[in-house]
Amino acid sequence: MARFLTIGERIHVISPTIRKALEERNPEPIIKRAREQVEAGAHYLDVNIGPADRDGEELMPWVVKVLQEEFPDTPLCLDTANMKALEAGIKVYDRKPGKPIINSADAGARIDMINLAAEYDAMVIGLCAKDGIPRDNDERIMYCTEILERAMEAGLSQENILFDPLFVVIKGMQDKQQEVLEAVRQISEMGLYTTGGLSNVSNGCPRELRGLIEATFCAMAIQCGLTSAIINPLDKLVMDVIKTADLIKERYLYADSYLDL
Amino acid sequence: MALNGMQIYKLLPQKNCKECGFPTCLAFAMKLAQGNVEAEKCPYMSDDAKAKLSEATAPPMRTVKFGAGDFEYALGGETVLFRHEKTFVNRPRFAVMFSDAMSSDEVDRKIKNVNEVNYTRISEEMHVEIAAFKCEREDKDAFISLIKKVTDSCPKVVPMIMTENTEIAEEAVRQFGDKGPILFGANDQNYEAMVNLAKDHKLLLGVTAAGKEKLYELVEKIQKAGYKELLLDAGSRNLKGTFDDMINIRRTALLSGDRTFGYPTVAFVCDMAQDKMMQLACATLFVEKYASIIVLSDIDYSIALPLFALRQNIFTDPQRPMRIEQGIYKIGAADEESPLLVTVDFALTYFIVSGEVERSKVPAWILIPDAGGYSVLTAWAAGKFNGKSIAKAVKEFEVENKLKTRELIIPGKVAVLKADIEDELPGWKVVVGTEEAATLTNFLRNYKQAAS
Amino acid sequence: MAYKMPVQKYSGKINEVTIGNGLKLGGESVLPFYSFDGDIGNKPAIGMEIWDIYPESWPKCLQEIFKDVADDPAKWANFCIYNYSPDFICLKFEGASPDGLDRSPEECAEIAKKVAESVSVPLVIAGCQSNEKNAKVFTKVAEALADKNFVFLSAVESNYKEVGAAVGMAYGNIVAAESSVDLNLAKQLNILITQLGIKPDRMVMDPGCSAVGYGFEYVVTTMDRIRLAALQQNDTTLQVPMILPVSFETWKVKESVATEDDAPEWGSQEERAVGMEISTAVGVLGAGANAVILRHPRSVEVVRNFINQMTE
Repeated sequence: MARFLTIGERIHVISPTIRKALEERNPEPIIKRAREQVEAGAHYLDVNIGPADRDGEELMPWVVKVLQEEFPDTPLCLDTANMKALEAGIKVYDRKPGKPIINSADAGARIDMINLAAEYDAMVIGLCAKDGIPRDNDERIMYCTEILERAMEAGLSQENILFDPLFVVIKGMQDKQQEVLEAVRQISEMGLYTTGGLSNVSNGCPRELRGLIEATFCAMAIQCGLTSAIINPLDKLVMDVIKTADLIKERYLYADSYLDL
Repeated sequence: MALNGMQIYKLLPQKNCKECGFPTCLAFAMKLAQGNVEAEKCPYMSDDAKAKLSEATAPPMRTVKFGAGDFEYALGGETVLFRHEKTFVNRPRFAVMFSDAMSSDEVDRKIKNVNEVNYTRISEEMHVEIAAFKCEREDKDAFISLIKKVTDSCPKVVPMIMTENTEIAEEAVRQFGDKGPILFGANDQNYEAMVNLAKDHKLLLGVTAAGKEKLYELVEKIQKAGYKELLLDAGSRNLKGTFDDMINIRRTALLSGDRTFGYPTVAFVCDMAQDKMMQLACATLFVEKYASIIVLSDIDYSIALPLFALRQNIFTDPQRPMRIEQGIYKIGAADEESPLLVTVDFALTYFIVSGEVERSKVPAWILIPDAGGYSVLTAWAAGKFNGKSIAKAVKEFEVENKLKTRELIIPGKVAVLKADIEDELPGWKVVVGTEEAATLTNFLRNYKQAAS
Repeated sequence: MAYKMPVQKYSGKINEVTIGNGLKLGGESVLPFYSFDGDIGNKPAIGMEIWDIYPESWPKCLQEIFKDVADDPAKWANFCIYNYSPDFICLKFEGASPDGLDRSPEECAEIAKKVAESVSVPLVIAGCQSNEKNAKVFTKVAEALADKNFVFLSAVESNYKEVGAAVGMAYGNIVAAESSVDLNLAKQLNILITQLGIKPDRMVMDPGCSAVGYGFEYVVTTMDRIRLAALQQNDTTLQVPMILPVSFETWKVKESVATEDDAPEWGSQEERAVGMEISTAVGVLGAGANAVILRHPRSVEVVRNFINQMTE
């Protein structure tokens, strides 16, 4: 079984530093954040350029090239609602380190992202949602099925889709946590791959608790079948827990020094 | 051919009734594809769909049988490519090749060799299981009398009748059918008659073709004719080609889930080399990967000892380690004054200890109590290797009657047992042996010297 | 429907390690001999085992072959090379054993140097039963054979720091990591040795061996799992060629040791022992061994023929 896939979340337009760097086309801050994440062991780097309605088609290729020149062994996850920007980014993307991931399709307005992934032989994150957070797991599974059916029509095989059941914040939606884990279990039992944004879970919690909450949730979700997550790789606790969970899942061989690798 | 989730989904009613316990038909289909749920759970599936599904969810490799009575054997039924993934289930069986073109001297010599190799190793009887008979002269009477001579002289072998001539095959099957022979030689020309013959007598049918592609087509035809008790041969007669056949036929069944190749295979090692040691080398490889019948030219102890031992090891269930029978074992010319050691019934431990004792050239006894089949420390920790179990073995195997010595050497790792054992065995002195078997040789030599 | 060959994907590759001047081990990116899947790398190598002392404890039938040369390791080595063309010679310092001759490390270094100067093939240096003594012997021998790229068999958990520092770091030879049929220790020892600063292509591993019939399933399974981790999971810590000292094990089991008087029904002792050696060697080659060490010339011939046929 393949190792748990980690997608580093720290190149995000919400961060003022990144936003400014993207606006000014200044590679330095972006590369710096990428390097920290790669060195911490992230497999993929998410690149969120925001809606980028105005200049996305030019911005995405620029940032893809910047990152791939510096980190030729690290594949990227292209994150924007702008289809044209995604397409332009994929066109310049070098697939040597791995297929690009499109972040993300859903069962609503963004379902065409599935066709985009099929057309360009990319992977895609499929949000099990239509508009807003799904009400319950019946909805999640229904959206999951809709995405899968679209993918089959488009000729995109299931191992190219990472289904995201939408992780929800614990502070305010504590009563929904078990249901989300159950959704991970149901989707995994269909033999499908899953992912989710771990920081969603700990949003708004005190800084010193966030890593602990994310790591614990992640370990529990991995037991339910979660195969990847969008995370902050600089959080050593989360990374160590993921390595250990992989170990317990027998995805690689134990050695006393496994955390060093 | 196995179906994937989407193909199964198309066979389902697609009404998302949830009566199967799954939220949607697609979810149920995906689960079916993994073989984790019964198709019966869907109350609305058509019979046609059910038939297609049951075909798709059958085990990937068929278990077939040959032989009769005490000499009936199962082949195939494997579910994994590597034993640690679960276990290998049906060990390969060894055959010796005879032919009607051989001189009677040669036949007599082989009969003698087949009968001579007959021994027990860790509760398993080791002997050649099959005599293969190749019909080369197309002389029915000569062929039948050869089979008769060999099967009369070697009561433990099951015949494998090798001819493509259906008339000769029919006669041989008529005469030897009660032995559950393997009928080998269904090819593209004769398969209809051969299938009928095998069907009538319920025999394992060997199917042969030149190459995997042709074999695949032929098996498809035979399956269509309604017969599934098959043994496959893709025609290679050299080492490298046969290896390719063995690996890829097995992978086609287990990895691709394609049941057309979901049958056991035969390796004709006898054709790969003249030299018996080279045949041993080839046979070794095919015990590991993945022949079900291995045909040798001849047998003697120099090739039987390693081959049977290897087979016993490889086909040990990883969850159930091999155990040696409890009792008192004599090493070398031990007498009633010789040293007495005790160790556990885990076969590997016994072998290592007995090997070191033999190497020391000090005749000795080894007592094996019921220690649950664990290694020394594990058995001790589990309370299976202690004063009670050792004392029980001393009584059960009448050690006090057989031996004059009243000293018992125990493994150094369980030195703590000394007092416990001495309590249970009045009149005995416990001597603590070495921590590792590797240093036992020196220990025994010094022990003997100190005694004398 | 036409037959479709199954496809097995591999993501890793075994390191290619050069022994001596040009004997290459490893380099494969598929399971052993799976040439239909891809590149099987270099041919597995065969070495012959010789001792620094006369091998009194070997069965007579084996002693007989080497009796005229076995008093002198250099002569013995050349006798093997001349007559049987092994890919390398394994010089085992049985005489260093504290329970035996207790030969000093300096004396061993002297002998190793003499053998090395006289032979045309690379050496694999093996020690005695005592790991403590081996660390001292290997240090001196590695110094005497500095930068020769010879293999030292082996570094174990209790002495890897000393052996690694001397053999691998100070004197430019190749460390073999030995882990007696313990999968997790095999991996850990490889990690620890690379953490000393030894490059992954400057080491080999001995995952532990036994004769067929003697817990050999553990050997096969350990090797299978090491190779699957290396090739399918791309576990770089295990992409190390494996060397298996087959003869150290097979010549001490009952099937090889029992004389014809001990077991008359078993026939020729020499043939039995050769059979055990060949079967064990092929057994480990089939599970991924990149080199095997043997004693009997007949075994060398048959195993070579086997390797040639599988790799032609």
